[in-house]
Amino acid sequence: MGIEEGTFVKKYDLLGCIQCGRCTGGCPVTVRTPLNVRKFVYEALNEEILEELADKPEIWDCTTCNTCALRCPKGLEPFEVLIGLRSMKAEEGNIEPTARDALESMFNNGNPWGKPAAKRCDWMDGIDGVEKVRILEEGEKADVLIHVCCTACYDPRIIPLARNLVRVLEKAGVDYGFIGTEEKHCGSEARRLGEEGLFEYFDEENSELFSRFDVNRLVTLSPHCFNTFKNEYQNLNLPVMHYTQLIAEMIESGSLELPGEIATQVVYHDPCYLGKKNLVFDEPRYILGKIKGVELAEFFRSKERSLCCEGGGGKMWVESQSKAPRLAETRVLDAQALGAKTIAVACPFCLLTLEDALKVKGLEEEMRVADILELLGEAI
Amino acid sequence: MNEIFVLAEHRQGELREVSLELLTLASKLGPKVTAVLLGSGVDEFANKLASYADRVLYVDDSMYANYVCSAYQAALSELIKKEKPGLVLIGNTGQGSDLIPSLAVELGCPFTTDVISLTLEGDKPVAVRQFYGGKINGTIEFKDAETYLIGVREAAVPAEELGKSGEIQKIENPITTEITVQKFLEYVEAAVGEVDITQSAMLVAVGRGIREDKNMPMMEELAQVLGADLAGSRAVVDAGWLPPDRQVGISGKTVKPKLYLAVGISGAFQHVTGMKGSELVVAINKDPDAPIFQYADYGIVDDLFKVVPALIEKIKELKG
Amino acid sequence: MNIVVCVKQVPDTSDPDTEVHIDSTGRGVDQSKFSFVINEADNYGVEEAILLKEKHGGEVVIVSIGPEAANQVIRMALAKGGDRAIRLEDEAFAFSDVYATAKILQSAIKDIEFDVVMTGCMASDDGYAATGQTLAQLLGVPHAAYVKSVEVIDEKTLKVGRELEGGLLEMSEIKMPCVLTIQTGINEPRYASFKGIREASKKEIKIMDLAATGLSSDEVGENGSLSVLKGYSMPEVGELAEILEGDASETSTKLATILKEKGLV
Repeated sequence: MGIEEGTFVKKYDLLGCIQCGRCTGGCPVTVRTPLNVRKFVYEALNEEILEELADKPEIWDCTTCNTCALRCPKGLEPFEVLIGLRSMKAEEGNIEPTARDALESMFNNGNPWGKPAAKRCDWMDGIDGVEKVRILEEGEKADVLIHVCCTACYDPRIIPLARNLVRVLEKAGVDYGFIGTEEKHCGSEARRLGEEGLFEYFDEENSELFSRFDVNRLVTLSPHCFNTFKNEYQNLNLPVMHYTQLIAEMIESGSLELPGEIATQVVYHDPCYLGKKNLVFDEPRYILGKIKGVELAEFFRSKERSLCCEGGGGKMWVESQSKAPRLAETRVLDAQALGAKTIAVACPFCLLTLEDALKVKGLEEEMRVADILELLGEAI
Repeated sequence: MNEIFVLAEHRQGELREVSLELLTLASKLGPKVTAVLLGSGVDEFANKLASYADRVLYVDDSMYANYVCSAYQAALSELIKKEKPGLVLIGNTGQGSDLIPSLAVELGCPFTTDVISLTLEGDKPVAVRQFYGGKINGTIEFKDAETYLIGVREAAVPAEELGKSGEIQKIENPITTEITVQKFLEYVEAAVGEVDITQSAMLVAVGRGIREDKNMPMMEELAQVLGADLAGSRAVVDAGWLPPDRQVGISGKTVKPKLYLAVGISGAFQHVTGMKGSELVVAINKDPDAPIFQYADYGIVDDLFKVVPALIEKIKELKG
Repeated sequence: MNIVVCVKQVPDTSDPDTEVHIDSTGRGVDQSKFSFVINEADNYGVEEAILLKEKHGGEVVIVSIGPEAANQVIRMALAKGGDRAIRLEDEAFAFSDVYATAKILQSAIKDIEFDVVMTGCMASDDGYAATGQTLAQLLGVPHAAYVKSVEVIDEKTLKVGRELEGGLLEMSEIKMPCVLTIQTGINEPRYASFKGIREASKKEIKIMDLAATGLSSDEVGENGSLSVLKGYSMPEVGELAEILEGDASETSTKLATILKEKGLV
């Protein structure tokens, strides 16, 4: 029997799997859901039962945190099989209404939140010490093009991240520019919800959009946008950085100074899409280490072994059936045990999920979750 | 204008309030007001209507016991053709909204629906209605005609005691043939027990502000006196105080009730996204800076443990 | 069972932050900042038609009045399972009221052998909730508005549930052919994938202009209308919540009174 193009076997190199189980062994969500990714990789060999596999609710439990891929001795990406199964459901039109609404909004409004595109830049008004946020005209030259991320444009809890980024860029005299209301969703969450076609649309649209500006590099606020632009776009010809990389560079070169002191115990939570997915571990820690007064602790599970917050992989729109505590709750308890007063993150989703977990655990008086950008906002 | 017709609306043995609202509105417009009642053995409704109208036209026939569009349309069409009122007001309700357009087209009358205010300029009505979900208003005028049909929104005008004593004219059923294209079967109440909050008319939404599981019964009582269903934030569902199908927000349900009473909910973006289509939002929260107040029509900044018990009592009083 | 579904492309103004600005004519709104979507209730109509087709066979025809851009929502309906579509477009259609709009729809539907015509129960932009009922009268068939359940009884009869105030369902039988205006929540609309919509562009969308409808210019637009929108105005609304002042007894009394006034208690 030959292996046909386009089949799961070919697409995900299923025959490369030796069924060692390191994927499932490390999978963080197994503590709260029935998901067994090794078994899916094995069963997906049988094309005849793919539809049956796609009907299993646990394919939506995967957060695409990349732990399984990091641990795979054969270099496979087991979780991609689950995304492939989700694609079958999306193709049929048979997905959770919450995911449907998010996907329809991505296409209609350019963001998954159901918010009007015309309001995408409202967050830019009235930033401390910034007269006008620079929006690039077509063909305009700048060193850095910033992609804001939909959540930071619209969610009042995340908007301060974008505003602080502007303050930091202004302070350091960076030659930056924003896209404006034409900026669109990066497509990362579309792809993870199984909408490959919509993802390809964003790849084409955004690549064309970015090519209108004469810039040297693209910097993202969210690790999810960062990853997808860097690793998944087929049409993009720009170096891509996460904001922590740019800021680390600014501090190193001396263009950004951090005079303010924040006397607090901080533990840094590695966002999966920055850490496990792109191995950016040092820059966020470097920045935190440069803030006066910060005492930096480490989680037992950090860097490659960092515990996922369950905010990625489309999980903002699809709940697990599990009633067991969320991983984010485990994470904040771990932070509490370390005596941390601040959990620092570098991702909008991590911020939201961990902050929710603080509330569920009743720890919101005792600890806080802050993005590095918020801490920088205080330190400059 | 010679006369205004107001169609009385009743359902399940009750004369609906909208009938009195429309009679109040009509009496302020000037011309003589006639209440039109189609029903079966509802003399008491006719008597009640008589105190709000100058005349009551009452057709008593079993075919009008329950609303059936084809039957109502046939009868009203005959009555309007015969009496030629200058204006016909019908409540823009589940019944009226079903009836108005086809009745108007049959009669060739200009019409509009869901009107929130109405005036007369000479013999012609001028109506104001909402567009874009209430974001803007529009003024509607009509082509010249003998009769105009207007659907008026419920609760657009409060009913007032008018102290009239109109003559009740019980008239022959103008329809003698049987209506066969439509047949009323029954009324079905929304299934008890299986609450689908996306369909709820009123929701009491609970947030972490209620602090402990043991405070849920108080919220249940509030919902019960209001006739509302309980919903909650993700944190409340995570805590196990409400089942997952009661979660409002981007990863839960999107709701659009007539009333969304948010108690102890701060109003995170992910929650608000799921309830922003609600018609009336009321928030009770002790934190004056809680984002929920940005989405609320009314707010109470106070300790919910003081406000909720008081509110339960007040509502009980109002309900008698 | 042959079903015609009328769909309308509308601006998505569902978000409270979406501002609606009256344009310089005073009779229109500035459309430049809107994103456009299928009218919400129409989307449920499309789903209901496809569910009935999947169960009973037949053809689903999508009918829409609108510009070329409305092809987007038509293709979405075709991707979900519609068989073919008709799009009516002519400058003469502008400023049509409900009556004229229904006449335009009727001109396209009258030659189709349909069992059921479905429309959404209400459009989110103008909110008349009247087009389906008007269309039914023009087609000379019975109708039911705010339909929340549909069941096929026999070849000629449907059992429908109409949603009334307070969520009460009025169950009745109606003879086909008929018009049903579909209420949101009757089903759970499926998702039309990006690829599915692209592939649906292979399905036929027949374009009809005024000449093709057989109507005269006096029967459509403002000339053919019975009512005229004279102009828009901004309602007076407070931006922020009205905070009720006083102690718990006072605030709860105020709130209870407001709820009573709004007809909620």
